[in-house]
Amino acid sequence: MFAKNIWPKIFIHLLVVVLVAGFSSMACAETIKVGSLVDMTGATSDVGKDYALGIAEAMHYVNDNGGVNGKQIKLYQFDYGYRVPEALTKYKLFKRLKTVAVLGWGTGDTEALSPTVTKDKMPYVSASYSAHLTDPKKTPYNLFFATDYSTNARAALTAWFDKKWPKNKDYGKRKPRLVCSYMFASPYCSAPIKAIKDQAKLLGFEVGPDQNVSLFAIDTKSQILAMKEFKPDVVWHGNTTMSVAATLRDAYALGLGADHIIDNWGFDENLPKLAGKASEGAMGVAVCAFFGENVPGMDNVIEYAKKYNPGIPLDQRLNHTVQAWGDVLILWEAMKRADKAGSLSGESILKNGFETMRNFDIGLGAPPITFTATDHRVAGIVPIYEVENGKFKLVEKVDLKSRWPEKWANDWLGW
Amino acid sequence: MHKKSIIRGWLSVIAAVALFAGCAQMAVKPDQQNFKTPKVTLDSMEVAHAFGYWYFSNKVQPTKGKPENVGAPLELAFIFNIENPNDYPVKMDSLKFTIAFEDFDLNTVGSTDTMWIPAGKTNQLRVSAHFDVRQSLLSLLVTGGFKLKQEGTNAWAILEKWWTEIPQYNIPVHVKAGSAVFKADGLTKVATFNATFPQ
Repeated sequence: MFAKNIWPKIFIHLLVVVLVAGFSSMACAETIKVGSLVDMTGATSDVGKDYALGIAEAMHYVNDNGGVNGKQIKLYQFDYGYRVPEALTKYKLFKRLKTVAVLGWGTGDTEALSPTVTKDKMPYVSASYSAHLTDPKKTPYNLFFATDYSTNARAALTAWFDKKWPKNKDYGKRKPRLVCSYMFASPYCSAPIKAIKDQAKLLGFEVGPDQNVSLFAIDTKSQILAMKEFKPDVVWHGNTTMSVAATLRDAYALGLGADHIIDNWGFDENLPKLAGKASEGAMGVAVCAFFGENVPGMDNVIEYAKKYNPGIPLDQRLNHTVQAWGDVLILWEAMKRADKAGSLSGESILKNGFETMRNFDIGLGAPPITFTATDHRVAGIVPIYEVENGKFKLVEKVDLKSRWPEKWANDWLGW
Repeated sequence: MHKKSIIRGWLSVIAAVALFAGCAQMAVKPDQQNFKTPKVTLDSMEVAHAFGYWYFSNKVQPTKGKPENVGAPLELAFIFNIENPNDYPVKMDSLKFTIAFEDFDLNTVGSTDTMWIPAGKTNQLRVSAHFDVRQSLLSLLVTGGFKLKQEGTNAWAILEKWWTEIPQYNIPVHVKAGSAVFKADGLTKVATFNATFPQ
């Protein structure tokens, strides 16, 4: 009698156990939220769309490879059209959603949000590489995987001085002449101007009047004519690709006769397509490899581009996808380290994550990454490329940290 | 005592039947061979809100508030059919696509809201896309500047045409490079789609 009564009970208990076990993966799946601000429609959408695609693809890669020690990441990605007020609004939403970190975009909004993210202890990994964000005394929660704009500008000018200036017919007879071409009102474009002029002084340049070129310019003849009066040997371009291409085209057409050095957001695979012959010989900064270049980790970048955005041909993808991977990979590593240390709070992600990285290698042609509690400049070596027959050729890796160790350590941090 | 055990026995059987019936659609387990890519098609596009065509630069003093560079909004809604051809439910993780007016890509939008689609059924998803004259002007200039020049037109002329003609459904709006990510039991499939409305 007892045996007969016990069987239904056992059966029900077993059934419950089986069903609970069956659904346990769904029941226990823990999710971490990360915010992402991108520009797919605004003033920097010529480079922002590719970066946005790269962020989402890299995040799929992270989740496919275990997420953060088994926790999956839910990405909230919003286009803010490069409008600072909208970025501030979206940031408030990220806080409401309880994101543990934010992947940001532009310099204007990143710098505007910096005091807030510091107060909130929100790790903010941006595509803005403004040097203003590298001093942890002022902006401890701002981070990025790349060398900063000021370091890049110094390196580009130095590479031109090392490689091109000695071949000039006036070398040794007079000072080389530099002009800066950029959109004055754009915080991104103007961020490294003080630094490049300081580097010009250090190397003995004469600096001409700056030229204001809008990010939307397709006709820059008046600026080129103004440059011609100064007869520059080299022009620094601080805009994004479209307006840099327009300036190179007009400089070529009007016979400016200067060389060109270009910031990383103006130096991508679209530049030779848009500027054609006018881009030949132009030198520029690449903070990581170009899309498809043969470097460690690029196979993943290509695989995920094909898998998640099969409608976009690979020959239309840019190095900005690779830059997006760089930022996602450092955030991933920081979160894994913080989680292992016991907490995914913002402070833990910073202290137990980012600031424990010493020469951390993410591949992708990026420099090994070091963050310390006193310095958020990831590296002092910058690869400089040159356009040759429509392709990018590595010219020199400028090691600013070794070449000017005193200035690097004591003078150049944070601007 | 005997009666109680009979009732318990019957209850167990009923519970088991109900649970197995509830889980019947899970009988087919997703695997790489049987996981068919769901199909995404554009059902229609609606002009959700149109406000005419106008633009004020920040040199113009508004009646209230601060002067801004601001232009007429245009709200479009894209309704997609999402068909699950599988014998088990699938989860749509995200969907995104680029919107082009004529030959110009203007916006990339999407949805990261998750959605479960029952086996063999078709769900619908509405994705809103906001445009305004200012935003579209910037996007046009920075990505389509050279093309406008080649075509002998300018941004203002083309914006006026779009803002007055799209609400009449006279200008084709293209959905390009669309992709939607689907998951089933840890497996992933990505559906691609393109469309034009009106066709």
